[in-house]
Amino acid sequence: MNRRLLGVLVLVAFTLLAAVTAGAYAGRQATTTTLTMWSYDNQDPGLEPVLKQLSKDFEKSHPGVKINVVFKSFTDLVGTVPRALASGSGPDVTEGNQGYQTDAQLVKAKLILPLTKYIKKYKWDKLYAPSTWGMFRWTPDGKSFGKGPVWGIAQTGQNVVAFINRKKLIAAGINPNKLPRTYAGWERMLATLRAKLPADDPVIEAGNKSGYGFIHIFGGIWGAYVQPQSVRNWVYHVPGSRYDSAGTIKALGRLQAWAKAGYFNDDYNAVQEDAAAGVFAKGKGAMWIGGDWDSTIIKEGLGAKNIVVTPIPPGPGGQWASIGGLSGPWHISAKTKYPDLGAEWLNYVITSTRAKALMFSQQQIPSDKSAKAPAGDAYLGQVSKAFQQVANDDGLLLYTDWASPSMYTTLQNQFQLLLAGRQTPAGMAKAVQDDWAKFDKTLR
Amino acid sequence: MADEGADAARPGEQIPGAPRRRRRGPTRAPGDPRNIGWLYVLPGLAFYVLFTLAPLLHTVYYSLFDWDGLTAKTWVGLANYGEALHDSVLRDSFVHSAILIVYYAVFPVIIGLVLTAALTRSVIRGFRFFRTVLFLPQLIAGVVIAQAWTWIYATEGPLNRFLELIGLGSLARPWLGDFTWALPSIGAIGSWVTFGLCMVLFIAGVQKIPTSLYDAARVDGAGPVREFFAVTLPGLRAEILVAFVLTTINALRSFDIVYNTTAGGPGGSTLVPSMYMYQNAFLYNRVGYAAAIATVLAIAIFLLAAVVLRIGDRGEHQ
Repeated sequence: MNRRLLGVLVLVAFTLLAAVTAGAYAGRQATTTTLTMWSYDNQDPGLEPVLKQLSKDFEKSHPGVKINVVFKSFTDLVGTVPRALASGSGPDVTEGNQGYQTDAQLVKAKLILPLTKYIKKYKWDKLYAPSTWGMFRWTPDGKSFGKGPVWGIAQTGQNVVAFINRKKLIAAGINPNKLPRTYAGWERMLATLRAKLPADDPVIEAGNKSGYGFIHIFGGIWGAYVQPQSVRNWVYHVPGSRYDSAGTIKALGRLQAWAKAGYFNDDYNAVQEDAAAGVFAKGKGAMWIGGDWDSTIIKEGLGAKNIVVTPIPPGPGGQWASIGGLSGPWHISAKTKYPDLGAEWLNYVITSTRAKALMFSQQQIPSDKSAKAPAGDAYLGQVSKAFQQVANDDGLLLYTDWASPSMYTTLQNQFQLLLAGRQTPAGMAKAVQDDWAKFDKTLR
Repeated sequence: MADEGADAARPGEQIPGAPRRRRRGPTRAPGDPRNIGWLYVLPGLAFYVLFTLAPLLHTVYYSLFDWDGLTAKTWVGLANYGEALHDSVLRDSFVHSAILIVYYAVFPVIIGLVLTAALTRSVIRGFRFFRTVLFLPQLIAGVVIAQAWTWIYATEGPLNRFLELIGLGSLARPWLGDFTWALPSIGAIGSWVTFGLCMVLFIAGVQKIPTSLYDAARVDGAGPVREFFAVTLPGLRAEILVAFVLTTINALRSFDIVYNTTAGGPGGSTLVPSMYMYQNAFLYNRVGYAAAIATVLAIAIFLLAAVVLRIGDRGEHQ
């Protein structure tokens, strides 16, 4: 009995000791304020070094404040952030993801704050065109997308464009300075490239292992056949919107025809999207179509002078369109003790002159529509111009996977089936619309 | 055991003629389990209840709700199970699992038996070394295995290079991105991982088969094949059973290798139930439905294990 008592006493002693130590630790912490930020902009070169540098600058101008930016992969962050925020020990400020899978959840579960107050304080409303704000708007029940208060703010613009190998254009007899300005001309150019390139060299080096490769490539074709506004309406679940329209089915048919004509490398489903950009940068394929956030990878491989950057040109409507929008939305946790400080940090990393200069230095396009690319960098000028061309034509189609929590997987599977000739364009359109309609019912 | 039980008094019964003595707790015959036994199993039992039984029951409980994992739950009764019954994606994923069982269970057992026959019939130099090396895949984390094999299967990877080298370049393909070959490719990884386990089980089993049986077989003029079927195989019945149960369970709940090689692609052709469960819980915000899938999967595993053991039992009585 005595021995047991002794054991209990030892245990109690240790518990007390631990409590005292923890208390002392907490006491010491109180002198500095630590803010934790979660980001999936972990590309280096890219946004990671930008955020790190800006946070250091912020710490210098705010003595006693420590900014702890935690970088995670996209899937890691999106898969864990709702529960981390709900637990109360999550980040103070974090990126989410537009759409029903993540942001709708965060809003509905009251895990993030509306930014109305800060938009007024920092005049953020001037950053983007009014229609652009739609991707951050939600009604507080998380049901209506594109309406209601603003819950997020983004750092960079994103756009899916074609990066073309200049030497291969010249070798095929195409003038790199006079690229087609219509979709029909674009199709003729692809056919010429296929005819002139060696059989084992793809016209388009594609990666689709994670499943977003063809979601992105398809945007440019899609935009040539449908009104960009109808695509955005569909993403926002505007009643009556449909995916299985005649235009979409025709566009899907074109993508399938590209595959049949042998425009793509045959291992696209086994290659990661970013990895394909790397393969292209090493000289394989005549072009790579993907996000401009990978432009540094391509520049470092092929050299800035050997690359032409352009969105896929428009159809008869004449409106330039591509998959794109703004980068991941930054949110302020509803449970943070320092919401104002978090907003101040956001304002600094998004709107300051220093921030924009750092972003441009990494070939990232600041989301602020007034930002001007520094003169003298022709490559950056091309990337920036491609974004402006689409953005100013109101042709950013957003990301179609935002339309429902399961849309990403549905599109991934359907595009893989379509490209392999195991699904018809009409069949795919129906499958995608069914997913949309099933989720749409839960919103009414 | 049965005889002993009949003779011994039940706890609480007075044994005639025994001296009356005050005891704490019920009276107990000598040899009967003492209650203090419970104290010994308590730590293990506590862990089992806390970390296995409780989560299991919790999962079943969640499966009765429509729940996104964050906001309030809505009671839906058995609706999630109703949906699972008609979900063609879930059905396909079970078909894929069934195919994987062939690779995870049937092939490894066959390979393990062949290797056992080869390794035990004659003394091989470096036997221990081979045994260790062949067992090694069991000890490597699934993620590492998946990464290594993704590299082996890559378009420019060693497998395709080897095929080209031996003049079979026409067979080279992006294995994990191919609709027809992705699932068998994952299956092959499973076979590679599990055959070592089967082999070690069988080698241990062979050592308890009396050598006199082998001598008798040889005297009767049995060759190596006959000897294998007449002596080794029947002698290893218990081990084969254990191997089948373990590997079948492995096949059904395989997640790490699928997630890290194809994540269910291309076009859902390698989607397995555990992967689908993950998608529902963490991507589609459908925790209730994911819990229902988990419960269905657990029941399927129980049933399959029971069937395998039943078949084994029947064999024993014949």
